[in-house]
Amino acid sequence: MKSNNIQQNALKKANFKTKIDLLVKFIFAFLALICACVVIFIVIFILVKGIQPFIIPDGSGATQNISDFFLNPNWLYDGTGGMSYMMLATIYVTLLSLIISVPTSIFCGLFIVKVCPKSIKEILKTGVQILASIPSVIFGLFGMGVLKPIVKGFANAVGMQTFGGSSVLTGVLVLAFMTIPTITLVSITSMEAVDINLSKASLALGASNQQTNYKIVLKASQSGIFAGTILGIGRALGEATALQMVIGNGGVGWDFLNVFNIYRTLTTTMLAGIGEATGIKYDIRFSLGIVLIIVIVVTNILLNLLKNYMTRIDKGEPKDKNKIGIIKNIKIYLEAYVHAKKN
Amino acid sequence: MNNENNKDEVVFDVKNVNLFYDNGAKQALKDINMKIYKNKVTAFIGPSGCGKSTLLRCFDRMNELVDNSYRDGIITYNGEDIKDINSIYLRTRVGMVFQQPNPFPMSIKDNIFYGPRCQGVKDKKILNEILDESLKGAALYDEVKDILNKSALGLSGGQQQRLCIARTLAMSPDVILMDEPTSALDPIATLKIEELINELKKKYTIIIVTHNMQQAARISDYTAFFMLGELVEFNKTEEFFSHPQDKRSEDYITGRFG
Repeated sequence: MKSNNIQQNALKKANFKTKIDLLVKFIFAFLALICACVVIFIVIFILVKGIQPFIIPDGSGATQNISDFFLNPNWLYDGTGGMSYMMLATIYVTLLSLIISVPTSIFCGLFIVKVCPKSIKEILKTGVQILASIPSVIFGLFGMGVLKPIVKGFANAVGMQTFGGSSVLTGVLVLAFMTIPTITLVSITSMEAVDINLSKASLALGASNQQTNYKIVLKASQSGIFAGTILGIGRALGEATALQMVIGNGGVGWDFLNVFNIYRTLTTTMLAGIGEATGIKYDIRFSLGIVLIIVIVVTNILLNLLKNYMTRIDKGEPKDKNKIGIIKNIKIYLEAYVHAKKN
Repeated sequence: MNNENNKDEVVFDVKNVNLFYDNGAKQALKDINMKIYKNKVTAFIGPSGCGKSTLLRCFDRMNELVDNSYRDGIITYNGEDIKDINSIYLRTRVGMVFQQPNPFPMSIKDNIFYGPRCQGVKDKKILNEILDESLKGAALYDEVKDILNKSALGLSGGQQQRLCIARTLAMSPDVILMDEPTSALDPIATLKIEELINELKKKYTIIIVTHNMQQAARISDYTAFFMLGELVEFNKTEEFFSHPQDKRSEDYITGRFG
């Protein structure tokens, strides 16, 4: 009798439940739409504002010359690198900081997950988490107060000059400090997710702990470490405040190649003096914004493609299939097309 | 335990072994005494949680990886206390195959090369010899000889488990420990592994933990029956299954419990 009751109730409620499911689905879709709209709105806004300086004359009747924008080292202010140089400097600074932060983070993560005693593991992990949540301006202050004097002393010691410690190198160091916690945290997560049976198998084969860590744990977590690096790159590329406080905001052309020179990146140029800027000098920052968005989107797409490729290898799909997959598909498609034409 | 007249060479001699987990709160092994004989298959059977896998892990000191556990008593390997043998060296002599097939996420070739490479073997010629020998030894050679550079994770479960055995053979160990090697496999793959074990015992000493009594009866020379951390009975397999000495063994064999 009881089961009969349950069935009758279930029948009554089933229609209601279906409606609720539908409603929830719409609510979720609506919320997702809002998020998508915000992103699209921001991009459109930056695009419209950023294209204006090239087309519409400002109060003084000036428009921005496109070739100057890209290449003239003295464009915008005297002694300002052209946009292309700034873009390269942004990528350059990010790459240099990654050279420091990626190995440091990987070994830091490996130490926390596999080497250090369990009792201090949680403390260290919490420490890294706190570091990851420290606002960038604090890192900037740290850079100004601590790193600048050190870099200045180091530069003098090797016979170079800096602007009171402000330099590309100081910026690189600050960015490295900022990205280490991010990359470390994600690396920790992926190293902890490595199947413990793999480590055991390695140990049972007579490998030492360190051999197991390098050959098994690092290898099995490489796609996770890479994901952390992508996040780190995102943070480094988009960082403005901390970088602006230490990098000096000057320099022309290829100056940035010498790490002891001051320079400006896309982000620091946008930020520095935005309060006083008027007319074209204000609007042009939006154009720089477009460039920054493009740089970030392109890097992310490329890195994600690379990451998917690595993940597929991890999952054991044959390498050669992935490498020539796209070309092969196009070829097959073309062959089919030619064949169809013939008939 | 009437192996007094046995002339077989003893590989492992277990004397008064007790093992505790959780800082002594749980006793997993109670006063175990037994001998493992050379070039024989010894099967450990018993209900879940009876300590058979725990004892198996003692032989290559993998039990030391478990936190808050300790073991007393003496286990000797060829007459030497295993506590005095460097654990890394011991594990090159005593290989282990796990319950779940766990090949490394690399190519089949690199899986086999992993152990020798960790010992510093770099010579391509020697490595390739090891590759051929161990794959043939694990009856896997014909199936994978054309896909040696493909990922090991693309193999079927049974093939993966045989690869894990091959990986162990690559170290040319004396003893192979197997912790329920067929419990994750289908009957056909299980049969292949059992046939393989019959081949392997000519060259190696094998200790196998199994849930499956028929399996123990089919492949082993000696059988040890465990219950609640105690070694209830240890005897030649035919003796054990035809004339169990202990009431509990008899109940277990006849399927009255477990």
